[in-house]
Amino acid sequence: MTGKTPEQNKVITMAPMDATHTEYAELVARASVANHGTIVVPEWLEDKKPDKALTTRRSGRAKNGLKRFPFVGFISVAVLLFLYIPMLIVVAYSFNGGRQALLWQGFSLRWYASVFHDPSIIAATRTSLIVAVAATALATILSLGYVLALDHMSRFGSKLASGLINASMMIPEIVLGVATMAFIRMIGMAPGYLPLILAHTTFCIPFVEMPIRARLQTLDRSCFEAAQDLGASQLTTVTKITLPLLTPGIVSGALMGFVVSMDDYMISNFLTTAGTTTLPIYIFSLIRKGVNPSVNVVATLLLLLAIVVTVISSLLTNRKDK
Amino acid sequence: MTRVPEESTIFPSSTPSSAAPSASTPSTSMPRHGSAPAPRGSARPRRKIGLGRKVKPGLLHRVWAVPSIILGLLFTLGPICVIVAFSFMSRPDVGGGVKFAFSTEGYRKLLFREDFFGNSYFDPRYLEVFWTSLWMALVTTAVCIALAFPIALWISMRTERTQRILVLLVTIPFWTNLIVRTYAWMLILNDNGPINAFATAFGFGTQHMLYTTGASLIGLIYTFLPFAILPMYSALSGFDFRLAEAAYDLGATKGVVLRRIILRAARPGILSGIALCLIPAFGSYVQPVLLGGGRVLMVGNLISSQFSEARNWPFGAAISTVILVITLLAALVASVMGNRSARKAGESA
Repeated sequence: MTGKTPEQNKVITMAPMDATHTEYAELVARASVANHGTIVVPEWLEDKKPDKALTTRRSGRAKNGLKRFPFVGFISVAVLLFLYIPMLIVVAYSFNGGRQALLWQGFSLRWYASVFHDPSIIAATRTSLIVAVAATALATILSLGYVLALDHMSRFGSKLASGLINASMMIPEIVLGVATMAFIRMIGMAPGYLPLILAHTTFCIPFVEMPIRARLQTLDRSCFEAAQDLGASQLTTVTKITLPLLTPGIVSGALMGFVVSMDDYMISNFLTTAGTTTLPIYIFSLIRKGVNPSVNVVATLLLLLAIVVTVISSLLTNRKDK
Repeated sequence: MTRVPEESTIFPSSTPSSAAPSASTPSTSMPRHGSAPAPRGSARPRRKIGLGRKVKPGLLHRVWAVPSIILGLLFTLGPICVIVAFSFMSRPDVGGGVKFAFSTEGYRKLLFREDFFGNSYFDPRYLEVFWTSLWMALVTTAVCIALAFPIALWISMRTERTQRILVLLVTIPFWTNLIVRTYAWMLILNDNGPINAFATAFGFGTQHMLYTTGASLIGLIYTFLPFAILPMYSALSGFDFRLAEAAYDLGATKGVVLRRIILRAARPGILSGIALCLIPAFGSYVQPVLLGGGRVLMVGNLISSQFSEARNWPFGAAISTVILVITLLAALVASVMGNRSARKAGESA
């Protein structure tokens, strides 16, 4: 083909229209009108064969060779195994019957029984639950107020408020822990449940607020207007329309807040006294004393909590798509 | 949103007879409604909650945001101010706490040491702790990002249903108790643990893996991996694969597509992943204590010991302040870079 002038390029006359390619044919027709009935094909395209592997319009297909990259699948599976094998080992060891935490001596539920009758574990769990429930409830109410009021703040004000509220996520936990301890000492608050619950509420709010805000953004605001046009008062609209519609976001936010509060070690560690030892602090001290079989059981139960909460909140957030 | 003002202009002019009765019927019972549809907002009922300001329907007055802001002021900003203030105070003669007398001793102690005769020497011990924390955090972040990119890409290329399940699988470790996750590695790396059982079975003898720097690093990577995967996935999940197809059609190879199209799309996710790994890893406490034993001293442990055993609060406060400043700078850099990359994406789009 080399050495040909453009005039010598192959001239394609219009092909009969195919029903399936009308759109394309229309383009061809338009182009051919512009070029006086002929279409000039560039020289380099003459030899070009359609790339079998590289054709377009594949996005919808499940099996798409273009979406495969070398090693990506392998690394991904390895990462998932890396994430789950340690947890599975903890679960497996929790059914170990022996006195030794690490020597396998047959399947048994005896450590489960002993954990459920261990007074210090029960006390620590109770403290954790009290703090987590109180902090979650408080954080949910405060987040709701904050999210629903966000629209009425000036741009600068809302930026400032969200910076302040989310700051606890950015500060290293250890610093926040010692700083909160120093602060509580400074203002003369007695250590105990109150500072613990307030501190937990503070660092739970970002986690609770996020799903609620996301949910509010998906709502059709005309529902609120409709309610008000039908005579509902401001408060009725909020309680009868906004809150029920926000429920999935509220529940998933509250669940996350609950887990974050239950998990916290760093900040609680600096705020607890002998009477308010939370579960993570108690496990931490157990682990430091030496590996104890009941730690395996508590760890498995906490893992179960994480799974349940994550699955529920995922189901709730995915439902909104429909 | 755009539909409403349109209606209000169309209805009175084109179909006044049909629209007006239906619109005015409720207005007889509710005098606050104007009989003629007025522009949005001005005719809205102003039922007051808190202070008398306009409130959008279904939402609350901005007074309702005040409690959470107060809590943020009290338990986030308050402690930070207190810790910064404490770092400039002096140590009481006995016990913990601070004496209200200005002193920069806390900061001096970071770099200098005084001997009996009052001569001060440069003291690299605490700088070394900072250095250890920094490189451990950097290694953790690098490994997490490197592992997170392939899996985030892989997840984002699945069908929607599979994506949901895979994201759930990544999220579960994210919400699992930190101590539980760290403890799991104690079980694995223990002298009698499964790895050593294999090692002895194959004749390698018992390897001491627990209470080493490597063990802390593994713990840190394990902890922060989901923090890197999730933002990267959320950056890639909205990626329009037709862009990659267009690149292929223009003759790009897989490597080029990966580097110039997909990596660029993942960039905001990578940046927030770096921020989410680096900052908490730098101040980590649980992993070095449980997996590193006493051998690995990171900044978190140093601070904690100043507030408990060493009882040198001003020094602990000074270290905390330094970390806070570093964190603030890192967050600032990340947000500036994030803005720039967002702007670039906007320009190219």
